Amino acid sequence: MSEKTAKQRFFKREHLMRYISLVSIVVLATAFNLMQPNFFGRMNVSSMLRDDAALLVMAVGMTSVLMFGSIDLSMGAMCSVSNVLYVRIILLYADKFKAAGIEEPNVGGVMALSMAACLLVGLCSGFMLGLIHVKLKVPSFITSLGFMSVWTSVAYLISNKAESIPRMMKGASDWYKNSILGGWIPVPLIIALALAIGFYLLQSRTVFGRTISSIGGNERAARVAGMGVDRTKIIIFTLAGMCAALGGVFLASKIKSSDPTLGDPYTLMIVASCVLGGTSLSGGRGSCLGTILGALTVIIIKNGLTFIGVDAYWQDVVFGLFVLVMIVLSIDRSKSTRGIAVK
Amino acid sequence: MEERKPLFTAKDITKSFSGTQALKGVDLEVYPGEIVGLVGENGAGKSTLLKIIIGAQPQTSGTMTMHGAPYAPKNPMDGNHAGIGMVFQEQSLIVNLNVAQNIFFGHEDRYRRHGFINWKQMNADAEQVLANCDITNIPVRKKVFDLNFATRQMVEIAKVVNVAHRDDGKSCLILLDEPTSVLNEEEVQTLFRQMRKLAARGHGVVFVSHRLDEVLEISDRIYVYKDGMSMGNMETKSATEAILYEKMVGRNSSNEYYQLDKQIAPKEAVVLEVKNLSKFGVFKDISFKLHHGEILGLCGVVGSGKEEICSVLCGDESPTGGELLLDGKPIRLSSPEKARKAGILMIPKERLYEGIVGILSVEDNIALSNLARLKSGPSVSPKKITAQATQWIDTMNIKTNGPKALIMSLSGGNQQKVVFSRAMASGCDIIILNHPTRGVDVGAREEIYTLIREIVANGKSVILLGDTLDECIGMSSRVIVLQDGRITAEFDASVDNKPSQVDVVSHMM
Repeated sequence: MSEKTAKQRFFKREHLMRYISLVSIVVLATAFNLMQPNFFGRMNVSSMLRDDAALLVMAVGMTSVLMFGSIDLSMGAMCSVSNVLYVRIILLYADKFKAAGIEEPNVGGVMALSMAACLLVGLCSGFMLGLIHVKLKVPSFITSLGFMSVWTSVAYLISNKAESIPRMMKGASDWYKNSILGGWIPVPLIIALALAIGFYLLQSRTVFGRTISSIGGNERAARVAGMGVDRTKIIIFTLAGMCAALGGVFLASKIKSSDPTLGDPYTLMIVASCVLGGTSLSGGRGSCLGTILGALTVIIIKNGLTFIGVDAYWQDVVFGLFVLVMIVLSIDRSKSTRGIAVK
Repeated sequence: MEERKPLFTAKDITKSFSGTQALKGVDLEVYPGEIVGLVGENGAGKSTLLKIIIGAQPQTSGTMTMHGAPYAPKNPMDGNHAGIGMVFQEQSLIVNLNVAQNIFFGHEDRYRRHGFINWKQMNADAEQVLANCDITNIPVRKKVFDLNFATRQMVEIAKVVNVAHRDDGKSCLILLDEPTSVLNEEEVQTLFRQMRKLAARGHGVVFVSHRLDEVLEISDRIYVYKDGMSMGNMETKSATEAILYEKMVGRNSSNEYYQLDKQIAPKEAVVLEVKNLSKFGVFKDISFKLHHGEILGLCGVVGSGKEEICSVLCGDESPTGGELLLDGKPIRLSSPEKARKAGILMIPKERLYEGIVGILSVEDNIALSNLARLKSGPSVSPKKITAQATQWIDTMNIKTNGPKALIMSLSGGNQQKVVFSRAMASGCDIIILNHPTRGVDVGAREEIYTLIREIVANGKSVILLGDTLDECIGMSSRVIVLQDGRITAEFDASVDNKPSQVDVVSHMM
């Protein structure tokens, strides 16, 4: 293949990738707004942004994993586990407080404790996943599928039904409702954005981050050059596990209850966010800044479909097709990925 | 040759890629029964011309004839129909198919009956195809995977001859693009015999190689290309390596190919001591000392264990026994990262797969091994990365559009210089060179030899696995010979005491 056509294709793709999320956000939002004028109402916007926050924290973790050419399919299941665990621990303490006759317990402390427990589980899961993938050289695809199966089950074992956060503990979910700028920008979104920017800086500015993209470009070369390939991969998987756990906590706070199947649809949404944001599934290129837009695109579709009244059973058909079309439009089909640049 | 009609001619072929001219008007004539050598540095346009001839790329201007008739292929199929076949630089056989399946790959339709393939017929025909090339010792049902490179090459040639075969019995033109780069000495000879047979049948052969000695040995006539232009052609009888070299590079070949005047005697101090190093089933009881400023050559045939010893020394694989002493202290190298931090780095053999990160720029590739030292505060400084690259591009004379150019836009030799820059920048004191000049043209090879001399002049030490035995002996100050995973001999190779190739080979097998 001549160099010229490869370059042209690359530029075309790069062009497309940079704007595809932005354009689809504008187009979709305008379309939904035309169909339902309330779409841009404060209620709906801040609701969407709260949804976005939970998706974004998880997608940020996945972006890093995809960037070195692996994938973590267990994130949705991990999110479910963390979700039920968070509520379970809060319920445990609620019972204790009730038994002790405490009317106004220290909700902040309990919240911190249960969140820490969730993050710890996410950390262990991600670490083990990374270890198995790296040391035993099992493809991350199949390792994380195994983990997905395990965690889906564990979520049921912790709590086989949806449970609500009791009234006395409502502080554990109220924080999620807070917002700034006249109620438009919810606090969790700020946290998620901070996380995304933090990851972006990590990826673009540090030795660690450059190791990630080098692994994505050519793992063997990165290893021979003496980069800390194994360590970097394990740390990223660990962080991704924690991101999934944090997503579960966000979702529990958002819906004020738990559901052992809550995270299931998120695996696809997470991957879609990354890819729509320009992260290559074959590794090497991508950015958490793109993922911010990608996640917003996903949320607008999801929310918009509900908002304009698409039947619930049809929503996932429409969503799935939409994601496929977007990925077909944006994926890098150039044969020699090796010959084409990130920057 | 006066009244003989050329089998193939190309006149004034030019080719430009987005602004740069790869070919500036080259000619080529091949007569029936002739083996034509095509030499030139990387980027001289040899491969581009072959691709144009076979039809894989269109020329920008110029005309070609085949059997005296105008020839303008739109794709390789047209080339095949006209009687031209090409063996590409990378072997194109599919390793998990058998020989017969490979020979008729893409032509299975011929053997289809009621939707099933008549394997019996195909195998019989494949045997016939091989027999046409006088090959009788390759079982057609064998998977290509199980064949060695030389045999694969035979199959590939037989396949290409078959594809280019014309029913009217006219002769074919076979293009061979660097077919010897993956072959050993003996395999090369087998290939040459095959080429001579083809020529004897009246076919024309075009042979491209980096190794001038090979071209001189096999071809009848040699074309020299330089910077997309033909520097003329000559009968092989009247050519020598020196003449070719001068035409290719445009300057005199230094007789001191390996720059022996710069070879220094290593110091007494030992940097690395290898004691009874073993890896189960691969090598056993390997012991040697590497001194300051020494180039230590490891020689042996493929499978002698030399590659694996390097893998262990650079931390890529772990040994099953023995120990390593670095500056007298025992050390365990569990990963290439540990090895790099201890001061050992390997320049790997397969540049494309192990050496460079293709999606990154030149500067990022140079910085891979020493990012930690290019920080300002907690973050990596892009300025320092660029500055470092600019310095090395200058020092190493790397031909690139700048530090931010993509590594893949560079020629093979320049990519290798980038890999060398990285190793030098890493600050490692022991550099393992695994075939440092593989796939690098003559001019760049000379520069790499200079570099290696400079590395040791700066007090560093080198373990060298030469691309050729000659190179290994010529560059090293000491040579260790391996056979079947054991050291069989050690030669002093100081400037006036170089062992002969025969001496060394006698211990290799």
